[in-house]
Amino acid sequence: MLLRASGLTQNRAYDLNSVTGAVPDNGGVPHGRLLVQFAEAVLGEDEEALAGARAALRTAIGPAGLVDAAGIVGLFNAIDRIADATGIPLEAEKAAASADFRAALGLDRFDVAARR
Amino acid sequence: MSEFYASAPIEIREDLAAAHARAWDRIGRAGSWWDGGQRVAIAAETRHALSCALCRRRKEALSPGPIEGKHDSLGALPDTVVEVIHRVRTDPARLSKRWFRGVIVAGFSEEQYVETVSIVAHVVVIDTMARGLGLDLLPLPLPERGKPSQYRPRGAKPGVAWVRWLEPVDLTEQEAGIYPAGRPTANIMKAMSLVPDEVKSFFDIVSHQYQGPLEMRDFSREYRAISHAQIELLAARVSVLNQCLY
Repeated sequence: MLLRASGLTQNRAYDLNSVTGAVPDNGGVPHGRLLVQFAEAVLGEDEEALAGARAALRTAIGPAGLVDAAGIVGLFNAIDRIADATGIPLEAEKAAASADFRAALGLDRFDVAARR
Repeated sequence: MSEFYASAPIEIREDLAAAHARAWDRIGRAGSWWDGGQRVAIAAETRHALSCALCRRRKEALSPGPIEGKHDSLGALPDTVVEVIHRVRTDPARLSKRWFRGVIVAGFSEEQYVETVSIVAHVVVIDTMARGLGLDLLPLPLPERGKPSQYRPRGAKPGVAWVRWLEPVDLTEQEAGIYPAGRPTANIMKAMSLVPDEVKSFFDIVSHQYQGPLEMRDFSREYRAISHAQIELLAARVSVLNQCLY
């Protein structure tokens, strides 16, 4: 949701399909493809792919950028676990604001609050 | 100056290194429901879960429920605690309310459950970042002596989560400051409020590793070495990979 908000306030069109990994280019986000590949590699098990993704991203955004990128991947890898383990739903206002693209991207199937 | 990451081959922001040092130190000290030794054991088991054969079989199965067996564990914690740690670490997207209730019926208190989830989350934050950067995992902290405080917030009530939580209006003086002022409290902040110290600790990391609650919505300037859009793309891609709607 904040990705779209960022685009709206910056008057830029980001391709939200990037979050599903389905976009072969940057999706409007600078170095977007490298960022997506890096996230996928960190959460994956292919060490060679991770080394390659890390090196490519570092070249593109520098060491400080790489640290922040790794930090975000680490943080959301944990936040997702807290959310899933406690069964929290999306807040009503966030749910309303994101309903269209959640449906378009098929994300509602991940709704932990709907699980019994 | 924090000595955390002092020998790392890449420079880690000082404020971020200090936040990790604080979190790591807290894992070794008595919490609200687990003592320091138990908390470090939970952290160690969190790492060990990644090599558990049962978890791997369950992860590969269409549904984890029918796959029976015993977790490969370090043997320091009761089976129910190991089950929670391993499932939250290796297959969180398929946790269910029924599974949660089963854990509670098996003898876990909701407070112990929340503190366990929080320790797993702390380890995941720090270890995943290390993996991303190609760093060795930090050695676990040494446990310190001390008894759990057994602090139970008076105002905690059932809400829309599986666990009880604190609404902002129910905070007492002892829990003051766990939620940011001036904006609605996100469910992810309330999720662990049954153990307020865990909220403080985890969101201390959040404010240094991500952005503070005001900065994350201030698109007029950038606060990190990557932009808001780059941050949110990474966050969203990770959540989709983890099959987490939140």
